Amino acid sequence: MENLVRYAEKLFDEVEIAVYRSREVSASVELNEISMASTRSGAVTVIRGIKDKRLGLAVVDSDEEHRVKEAIERAAKMAKLNSPDEKWISLPEPGKYRERPKPNYELKEVSPDGLVEMLVRGIKLAREKDENLIVAGGEGGVDWEESRILNSHGVDVSQEGGAAFFFLEFVGRKEGVVTPGIFDFDARRDLNLDVDGVVERAAQKVKWAYNVIPSKNEEVPVILGPWAIAGLLSYALFPAFSGERLIKGTTPLADKVDERIASEVLTIYDDPFHPLAIEPVIADGEGVPTRKNVLIENGTFKGFVWDNYWARVHGTESTGNGKRDTRSGGVKIGFHSMVIEKGSRALEDIIGEIKRGYLVDGFQGAHSSNPDNGNFAVTANPAFLIEDGEVKGASVFLIAGNVYELLKGASEVTREQTVMPFMTTMITPFIKFENVRIAGK
Amino acid sequence: MEALERALKWAEENLKADYIELRYEDLRKTTLGLKDGVFTSFTGKLNRGIAIRVLANGAWGFSSTSDLTNLETKIEEAYKLANAAAATKKEKIYLAEIRPVEDFVKSRMKVKPREVDIEEKVAHLRELEKFLKEDEAVKSVQIRYEDGSGKKAVLTNEGTRVEWDYNYLYQGTYVTGKADGKLAMARDSIGAVDYGWELMTDREPNEKVTERVLRKMHSQLEGVAPKRGEFPIVAGPIVVGIIAHEALGHLAEADLTINSPFKDLIGKQIAPEYVTMSERYVEGGFGNDKYDDEGVPVRDIHIIENGILKEIMLNREYAHKWGMEPNGHARAESYRYPPIIRMRNTVFEPGDHSFEELIEDIKFGYYVVDFRGGQAQLNSAFQVGVQEGYVIRNGEIAEPIRDTSITGVAIEALKKISAVGKDFGLEVGFCGKGQTAFVSSGGPHMKFDGGILIG
Repeated sequence: MENLVRYAEKLFDEVEIAVYRSREVSASVELNEISMASTRSGAVTVIRGIKDKRLGLAVVDSDEEHRVKEAIERAAKMAKLNSPDEKWISLPEPGKYRERPKPNYELKEVSPDGLVEMLVRGIKLAREKDENLIVAGGEGGVDWEESRILNSHGVDVSQEGGAAFFFLEFVGRKEGVVTPGIFDFDARRDLNLDVDGVVERAAQKVKWAYNVIPSKNEEVPVILGPWAIAGLLSYALFPAFSGERLIKGTTPLADKVDERIASEVLTIYDDPFHPLAIEPVIADGEGVPTRKNVLIENGTFKGFVWDNYWARVHGTESTGNGKRDTRSGGVKIGFHSMVIEKGSRALEDIIGEIKRGYLVDGFQGAHSSNPDNGNFAVTANPAFLIEDGEVKGASVFLIAGNVYELLKGASEVTREQTVMPFMTTMITPFIKFENVRIAGK
Repeated sequence: MEALERALKWAEENLKADYIELRYEDLRKTTLGLKDGVFTSFTGKLNRGIAIRVLANGAWGFSSTSDLTNLETKIEEAYKLANAAAATKKEKIYLAEIRPVEDFVKSRMKVKPREVDIEEKVAHLRELEKFLKEDEAVKSVQIRYEDGSGKKAVLTNEGTRVEWDYNYLYQGTYVTGKADGKLAMARDSIGAVDYGWELMTDREPNEKVTERVLRKMHSQLEGVAPKRGEFPIVAGPIVVGIIAHEALGHLAEADLTINSPFKDLIGKQIAPEYVTMSERYVEGGFGNDKYDDEGVPVRDIHIIENGILKEIMLNREYAHKWGMEPNGHARAESYRYPPIIRMRNTVFEPGDHSFEELIEDIKFGYYVVDFRGGQAQLNSAFQVGVQEGYVIRNGEIAEPIRDTSITGVAIEALKKISAVGKDFGLEVGFCGKGQTAFVSSGGPHMKFDGGILIG
């Protein structure tokens, strides 16, 4: 690869080459049966070169020298045609990385047989628990990736690692009721996936969903589960932490550093090294060392995150939040493992104290939230009615509001914390919010 | 192609597979991302690889790779994967019979994107940005453009040999506006597989896109919060389309139908007799194609015909399961994915009312024109963010509304359709079902006397 950097340096003032080799093995479920076993393997090389402040990018599905050279030439052609970006300063300089986490090599050579077995066991367990339940879908898989990022300033960082995931989707059909699709999942850096736990939790939710209870307009305590939190915050809140938005004036947090923006029970940080993180990267997508970045500490906003480009434009340093988009080749500000700090009490205890309220498993429509101002309008579905400390049945309702108003109303976080391998990986407890206005049907 | 033929022949002779399918792709793509004056992506992409799908002992094995050497070994790997999956299977997978086709699918584009200089593409995007920024309220503009050109092919051991001169282009525009301390976002998308660069110059020139995006943005900046609740709603073609796609279309994808309320409703009246919803070829449709990725000819179907739930979308596997004819809905995003059942162009068919007739009797209601993000559940519960909407007061369009969404259960809402407009509109977009597919959705203006909640 070094020789390819040398080759590219002849065509660019600065250049970066990132190579990703991956192998994915998975097995999937459809209608109570294994439907397919698959592997996906290959390499992707991304070239990012700058000539006279003109950016050129190329992506090629290969790591073979002649194909990478072809991509370098294509990137050079693109750069020639691009117009100069006067804000461009430079690619990152080498930094000091922390010690690489030890990869779990059992994930590198995993065969689909073990995954098939795991899914078959999950299906069997689920059907034993509830004969009205259909395992509509599901997948067990392992992703392994090796990457190397080099640039003409001397950055050269290699990483490797993998993660395993498992999810099932259940649909219950009983006495004319068809439940919505109900999911549960697990993701880890080893193969000890919690099949029993996934089945247990999802089957419990299906059981609740058989009893459909109409919702009404009211103001009640609402507990949001990990899937609902990840959905809502990924769209309505997290983009507001981006330094790019600070520069462009499209974040409502511009003048809020060190101000209270949420209830003090909430502490949120991005930490690729959290014990539950599934991708413990030491370098971000452009080779900058990663670190733990605190965003909200006991309700107080602590600051923005940056990639190399926007940090330099702003005159600060990258926080290691440059995420590579292997589709476009570009780097964008993103997160590694967003963590919401857990609390001390169990979900069950918190539910036990609620006279009337809801437990929301998932939100529909979170992606139509507006991160410019935090406004959102979502449908809680599946959502479960809590009465006298117990879950009584399932409801659907609408919550429309502002994420910052919502965050101020957080009153407690549970001690259970779940990994959500959502758009951004998120590690989150359940969160209870007080006096949430809901629109029922 | 010779290497593929050779590998396929080897596999036929050496493996006991029921079905072997090789899909080859060699595409050159251009991605341009313009964000507030700066091209954050200015990318040339070279995507080449192969997808291998093998049915053996009643189960699927799939293998995808960008490494085109030793294809025989890779087919054998997919065969072994099929056997691993088959070991646990009680109900075997069979494929509906088809007559294998040999064909070359020509592009219908007048000017293919690869024939247009990149300078012209850049100038076009810059001009759109300039037009948008002439509006003082616009604070941020992001434009994403992508095109692709090249070869796609599918070969099977049954004799199917389809090759495509494959081309597409797409442009997504995202605008953030600010006025009186209020922020608003608006988005717009255009794209085609049958129109080439003429889409950008003739059909959807920058002036037209600008006018549309700014109208959506201003409707939100100047909008008032709507009352929450159930009111008469007139939905425009784009919103009608998203309901057709998200809330109803997915239920008619055979792999999902099985777990949806549609399962027990086929052949039954589920909407008034003046309601027809189709999955069909549409002029300018982003989902148009002659064959699907299993090499099956694409056929128009009526999902709902005169109010009766009639047909569903099928691939060969589900066509066999349901005892029906496959209709060409197996689609794969790229060689990295196996084909799955997908929509193409999902539309409500026009009726006979004028727009004025739809709104004239409404004392108080809402007119919802365009959406931002939509989602639905298998019970047809849907939630759609509204990016352009207006109050209807005393039979007339009044002030705009902002930051809101509509929600409902589509199979209930269908029954509340009281009138269908005679116009027709279409929007292109992407559908995500684990893989991304180019789709369109649309229809006429439609009036719902309830069944949809706003707020």
